[in-house]
Amino acid sequence: MKKIATLLLSAGLVAMSAQAVPSPQEDLKHFRDYFQRKFPGLKLDELRNGINALDENHRMQWEAMEEFPPYEEFVDKGKALWEKPFKNGKSFADCFGKDPSKVRVKYPQWDAKKKRVVTLELAINECRKANGEKPFKWKKGPIAWVSAYLGYMARGQKIHVVIPNDPDALKAYEHGKHFFYAKRGQLNLSCADCHVKYAGRRIRGNLLSPALGHVTHFPVFRGKWANKSKDGDGLGTLHRRYGGCNKQQRARPFKAQSKVYRDLEFFHQYMSNGMTINAPSYRE
Amino acid sequence: MKKRTILTIGLAALLTAGFGSAQAGHSSKLKAAYEKELAHAKALVEKAASVEGEWRDIRWKKSKKKFLPSAIAAAKAGDYKKAMKLLKIVEFQAEMGYKQAMAQKNAGPQNYGF
Amino acid sequence: MKIKNLRITTAGAVLLAAGLVLAAQASASQSALAKGKKLAFDRKKGNCLACHQIEGGTQAGNIGPPLMNMKQRFPNKAKLRAQIWDARKRNPHTIMPPFGPHRILSDKEIDLVTDFIYNL
Repeated sequence: MKKIATLLLSAGLVAMSAQAVPSPQEDLKHFRDYFQRKFPGLKLDELRNGINALDENHRMQWEAMEEFPPYEEFVDKGKALWEKPFKNGKSFADCFGKDPSKVRVKYPQWDAKKKRVVTLELAINECRKANGEKPFKWKKGPIAWVSAYLGYMARGQKIHVVIPNDPDALKAYEHGKHFFYAKRGQLNLSCADCHVKYAGRRIRGNLLSPALGHVTHFPVFRGKWANKSKDGDGLGTLHRRYGGCNKQQRARPFKAQSKVYRDLEFFHQYMSNGMTINAPSYRE
Repeated sequence: MKKRTILTIGLAALLTAGFGSAQAGHSSKLKAAYEKELAHAKALVEKAASVEGEWRDIRWKKSKKKFLPSAIAAAKAGDYKKAMKLLKIVEFQAEMGYKQAMAQKNAGPQNYGF
Repeated sequence: MKIKNLRITTAGAVLLAAGLVLAAQASASQSALAKGKKLAFDRKKGNCLACHQIEGGTQAGNIGPPLMNMKQRFPNKAKLRAQIWDARKRNPHTIMPPFGPHRILSDKEIDLVTDFIYNL
C-alpha cells in the first residue's frame, strides 16, 4: 500500500515537473499574450517598431530618419561584399544559395550535428573561413554590413525560428530563456525587467523598448553608435547590443557569438516568430 | 678618536643592516599574504564566472575600475596594502555574483506574472 | 550696577553663542542634504532619477513612484532607509537595485541619501 502511494506520488511529481517546463510554443503564446495585454491598442506586429510604436515624438523623428536612411551606404557595402568573389573564386552564394533574400529568415538555426545554435553572423564568418578568407570582426563593420544587406533583402518576410524537438536544442533554448529572465550584475537587473516588465516606461531619459519585435530590425543602426564612429557607421549586430545591455546591468559582458549569446539569441528571436523583418532600422 | 668613529660607523652599519633585513622580512611576509589572497580571489572569480555570474568591474577589459588587474598592478608597484584592499572588493563582488546566480537558478517568466 | 552690567553681557554672550551653534548645525544639515541630493542624482551612484521623479531633477524616469511627501509615506525614517538599503525585502521581484547588500552605495552614502529623500 505504502509502495503504491509512493509510486503514485512520484508519478505525480514527474507529471508536475514535466508540466513545469512549458514548450517553446507555449512560451511564445504567453509572451505574445503578455504584450497584447500590456499594449491593447496596438497590433502585435506594430511592436517591431519598438518605442516608435509607443511614442509619437520618437515615431516622428524615426520616420524623418527613414526618409534618408543613414544606413543605406552601409547596406550597399554589404551588397558589394556579398557579390565580391573570394580569392578561391567562390563567394557567399556558394554557402548560402544564390538568392540573398532567402538567407536571413533561416537564422538562427539549430545545427544538429555540432549541437549548437548557428546565427547568421556565425555562418557568415564560417563561410569565409571555409573559403580561406579571414573572418570579419564580430560586432560591427563588414559583418554588420553583410548581415544588414541580407536583412534588408528579407524585409517584409516573417521571423521564422525553428526549435526542433531535440533535447539538445531545447536545452540551448532553455539556457537562453533563463539568461533572459535571470537578474545579474551589481544592479541586479534582468533583460526582462526592462524589456518585458517595464517596456514602454522611461528609464532616466530613455524609453524602454519591448522585447517582442526587437530582433526584426537587427543589425540595427544606432545614432549613438554612429556618433562614436569616425565615418558615421552606426550599424551593429545583435550581440554588440547584448554586450551593451550586460554592461549597463554592471555584469561582465560575454563575447559576441559565445555560446551564452547564441543561446540567448535562439530564445530572443524565437519570441518574435511571425513578426515582420524590417532590418536594418534606425534607433537612438 | 679614530676608534670611536670606526665604532660608530660599524654600529650604524650593523643597525642599518638589521633594520633592512627586518624590513625585508616584513615585506616578504606581506608579499606572501598578498599571493595567498590573490589565489583565493581568483578562485572566487572563476567560480562566479562558471555560473555566468561575474560582475562588470572585476576584470572586464573595458571596465574603468578593473579591481583584479588593479590589485595586481598595485602589488607590482610594491603597494601591498592597496592591493589587499582591492582584492577584498574582488572577493566580495565575486561571492555576491555567485550567490546571485544561485538565487536566480529558477528565474523565468513566472517571476514576471506569466 | 557693574555686576548687573556684567550679568547682561554674559547673558548676551551665552545667547549669541547658542545662536551661532544653532546656525552652524542648520548649515551642517543643509550641506548634508546637498550631499545626499548629489548622490541621489549621480548616474554612477544612487541614480534615483533613473526611475523616480524628484523635485529639481531633470530627465526623470517613471518606473517607480515620484518621490514626494516622503514623511507621510514613511513616517518611520528607518523603514525608508531599509527600503533604500534593500527593496527586495518588501518585493522579491523588484527592479530596484539592492544598494546596500551589493555595495552600490556605502553605509554613509545611504544615510545621506535617506536624509535627502526623507525631506522631500
